[in-house]
Amino acid sequence: MSAFALLLLTAAIAYGVGRFLRLPAIPALIGAGMLLHLTGFAPKELKLGSAEGAMKMLELGLVFLVFSSGVELNPRRFKRFGKAVAWVAAVQFFLAMCVGYFCSLLMGLGQLEAVYVGGGMAASSTLVVLRHLQARKAMFEPYGRVVTGVLLLQDVALVLLIVVLSRVDGGSWNVAKGLWEAALIGAAAWVAQRFVIPKLVLRFKPDEENLLLWLIAVLLGFVGIASWLGLPLIAGAFVGGFVFSAFPLNGLVRGQLSSLVDFFQAMFFVALGALIGVPDASMWLQALAYSVVVIVVTPPLVALVAEWRGLNARAGIESGLLLAQTSEYSLLLGLSGLSLGHVSEETFSILALSTILTMAATPFLGREEVAKFLLRFHPLRKNTQSDATPSGHVLILGFGAAGMWILKPLLAQGEKVVVVDDDAVVCNALAKKNVDFIRGDGAEEQVLAKAGARDAKLVIASMRRVGDAIAVLRYVKGVPVIARVFEEIDAEKIRQAGGIPVMNSHASADTFIEWFDANDRVKP
Amino acid sequence: MGAVGLIQELGIIAVSAAVMVALGRSLKMPAIVVYLLCGILIGPMMGWVSDSKGLHLLSEMGIALLLFLVGLELSISKVKDVGKVALVGGFFQVAITALLGCGLCLVLGFEWMEAMFLAMALSFSSTVVVVKLLEEKGEIESLYGRIAVGILLVQDVVVIMLLTLLAGLSGKGGLDAATLGLGLLKALGGMLALLGLALIASRYLLPRLFIWASRSPEILLIWALSWCFLMVFLSHSFGLSLEVGAFLAGMSLAQLPHIESLHMRVQPLMSFFIAVFFVTLGVRIEPSGALDVFPQALGLLAFALLAKPTVIVGIIGAMGYGRKTSFLSGITLGQTSEFSFILAGLAVAKGVIGSEVMLIIALVGVGSIAVSSYMINQSHGLYAWVLKIGLLKFHFLNGKPGIADRIVPLGHGLNGHVIVVGMNALGREIVSRLASKGEDVLAVDTDPVKLRNLPGRTLLGSVDYLSVLEEAGYERAKLIVSALQIEETNDLLAYRSKSVGVPCAIHVVDLSVVDNLLELETDYLIVSKVDGVKAQLRTMKEMGVLK
Repeated sequence: MSAFALLLLTAAIAYGVGRFLRLPAIPALIGAGMLLHLTGFAPKELKLGSAEGAMKMLELGLVFLVFSSGVELNPRRFKRFGKAVAWVAAVQFFLAMCVGYFCSLLMGLGQLEAVYVGGGMAASSTLVVLRHLQARKAMFEPYGRVVTGVLLLQDVALVLLIVVLSRVDGGSWNVAKGLWEAALIGAAAWVAQRFVIPKLVLRFKPDEENLLLWLIAVLLGFVGIASWLGLPLIAGAFVGGFVFSAFPLNGLVRGQLSSLVDFFQAMFFVALGALIGVPDASMWLQALAYSVVVIVVTPPLVALVAEWRGLNARAGIESGLLLAQTSEYSLLLGLSGLSLGHVSEETFSILALSTILTMAATPFLGREEVAKFLLRFHPLRKNTQSDATPSGHVLILGFGAAGMWILKPLLAQGEKVVVVDDDAVVCNALAKKNVDFIRGDGAEEQVLAKAGARDAKLVIASMRRVGDAIAVLRYVKGVPVIARVFEEIDAEKIRQAGGIPVMNSHASADTFIEWFDANDRVKP
Repeated sequence: MGAVGLIQELGIIAVSAAVMVALGRSLKMPAIVVYLLCGILIGPMMGWVSDSKGLHLLSEMGIALLLFLVGLELSISKVKDVGKVALVGGFFQVAITALLGCGLCLVLGFEWMEAMFLAMALSFSSTVVVVKLLEEKGEIESLYGRIAVGILLVQDVVVIMLLTLLAGLSGKGGLDAATLGLGLLKALGGMLALLGLALIASRYLLPRLFIWASRSPEILLIWALSWCFLMVFLSHSFGLSLEVGAFLAGMSLAQLPHIESLHMRVQPLMSFFIAVFFVTLGVRIEPSGALDVFPQALGLLAFALLAKPTVIVGIIGAMGYGRKTSFLSGITLGQTSEFSFILAGLAVAKGVIGSEVMLIIALVGVGSIAVSSYMINQSHGLYAWVLKIGLLKFHFLNGKPGIADRIVPLGHGLNGHVIVVGMNALGREIVSRLASKGEDVLAVDTDPVKLRNLPGRTLLGSVDYLSVLEEAGYERAKLIVSALQIEETNDLLAYRSKSVGVPCAIHVVDLSVVDNLLELETDYLIVSKVDGVKAQLRTMKEMGVLK
């Protein structure tokens, strides 16, 4: 119990420091575990193969962590961007893995070990990136959907890679058998997800406590089946999570699961840090080199494929920057390799350090300013200045799904209108209607200049981010700019920059109250 | 990663418990009874699971979290209310039950030393069982619930003293006075030190730390758990039970604002670990030889279920509490404790009693826990029945009013209200407008800062937890509104509203989510983007751009 209390206390300090320094939780937790090791307080039973309490907690943590990823595996989330997601995930994962593999060979690792490091470098962190997207309220932006989809496919790819590598010692027949067994267990999970569990829930209507028991029974049941088949525990935990991935089950279990995952995640990463210990300077240097490779290689790879598959340049760059870190799954892959004797303790430590470094860099890389800065170097963005610029027009920046509502009355009264949007589909639709448009990012000065923003009679800034509207206000100076915002704090920013805010939230509250007053069902 | 011992054992426990709970529901069996039976089945009968170190650790965590949750609900002021009855009642109950129990054991043919141990084992009740069942019934804060918990904590202190005394016994009944004195001193000093630490921390340290942490649910959870297990660790270092440390940890956080959301987050962890505890309790039973001691076990079981509650009813009645409070307190404490197992195990190890006495204690323990689970669940019906047949006519306050009962049900006082979830600009605006129209509004959010300065009632918590919605009285609401910008939570809210037939209005974060919400028969879609465009057109008209 004392070892357990110590790990928990360390996690608490790590969370506090992480929040204070605005760091993601995972690097803070692993770092705190390492410090625990450095100070000599790490529980002695924390070593591979040990069957003692703290090591068991680490295994349980791993199982819950992977299970929670499986629960998130709901393709509905990125259905609209399915093709883009598949392409970005496949190309990025394969190429990044190749780069990681060759870098590892150059650094003197063996072929098998290099495959582990390559796989580890190809995956990005679902936990870190989703948290970042939620904080920026970007889950519904096209790049948010694409990134979410890519992360989930990467998780699937890494689980399969772990299965393959766990069987590699037995030759290709054994690998094929492992994949076949993984497919079987996956099929069983699919049947359970579609036909068994939803019916049982409907039949028995379990309360929260019973539902939790079912959840753990399914999780550990699949882990048991995986173990019986000789597959890694991770494979069982992942497909176990998939059983609960469909709505409404995923929603019903989310509350119960989040407490367990938060708890086991904290224990897992601190214990992992304590298990690794503090690496020497040469390991730090190697980890730094791998981190630089991840940060340099991933963004252009993702941006290139994402733009090719229809995302605009900025969304592509933002997707790439957000995916530029190694994953918690990289650690699981490394841990699996370590326990199988495929990966040395030193290589595993380097992989863990790279994860800490790249995850810690994500809050910085994910900033809008970084994407804007990199956009300047985009090869197709140069020399777009046009000689003929419109004037006296209404400029609509960002058309979106509701843009037609604004456009129609303006055109009806004979106004000259220019639309700026970066969505190819929107631009094609505007072209068919003979509406003047410019394809590009409305927050970019070059695009604004081309659209004659300074000579417009009115600018309507309908972009998703308030920072974009403020950039427009700074550029146009003196031209009235209307910007739609949601929060009062954003409205204040627009006001201070000289714009006219329209609050979606207040407008919606008005409409809601009208409905409330008119609706018989909700009257007293 | 190759070793799967604990995970395999947990798997067997979870799968068999899930199946047995589902079967037990048709027989209306309390979960605790099912868990115990499950433990006996997969442990001594099938031999699939044994009482391992890992399971023991998880069981201890379950007990600690359960007591931590009780502490969270019982603030220092609430405990003070029942301090006197708990102290006096607890002491006299242990003394009288032990005396009567010892007499019964002698009549049943046990030797003096055996009779003393059996009597001690009979006089303690199970904190874990009582607290879990009262929590499930939503009566942990009732007067009788608080009295029962107070008496149980006094019993815990007494049991620690006894364990210390037993540890001081050397060999066959010899007494090492120095060890004994030191042990008792350490336990008493430790108790005072822990209590002092809890009081000081609750006043000067914890409020600042936890108010800072409360904006992040995961930090709040981890910090609270760390505080709990730090106190458990200190309690252990002083030779006290983990229950005492965990309870004090919870109690010292109980006066902080918005602590109810912490309760929701700890609950799933506790449910998981406590299920492991009860199943492991069943696993520990060794039924071979049970038939030989069956008559004695049956006699002592009857004593635990009938005589012990009668003693408690008498004592509490004598202290001025009403018939109902006394009766419910007595029924609630009518079982033996898991501590009895520990006490007996230690006594067997010291050679003071034989293994057959240990078996009797285990049988009485499991039997009394199983039967008393039914009795606690049906306690109000039992009270009506004993009143009807006149069993309580000898009560001290027969017919006179006693100190009042107070039962606070979930979602108390909420009916026909509007629940608004998510206090962003939209949520806050809707709350203000509805409140100004005289509606009874309950605002819900996970961030305490966002709940400040709102008209009407507020509730901190995530609606991902059904218990938060129950706390909000969602089944009796006239409308549920979500202003959240989280697709999954909005879908879930629409689903839950539909399943209880309450109309709902959901914020459409993005037009891509409309189909799902329509499929879920959402009554009203709040499409803020479209409403914003309409407002924008109005602004353009005001500016003269549009005619």
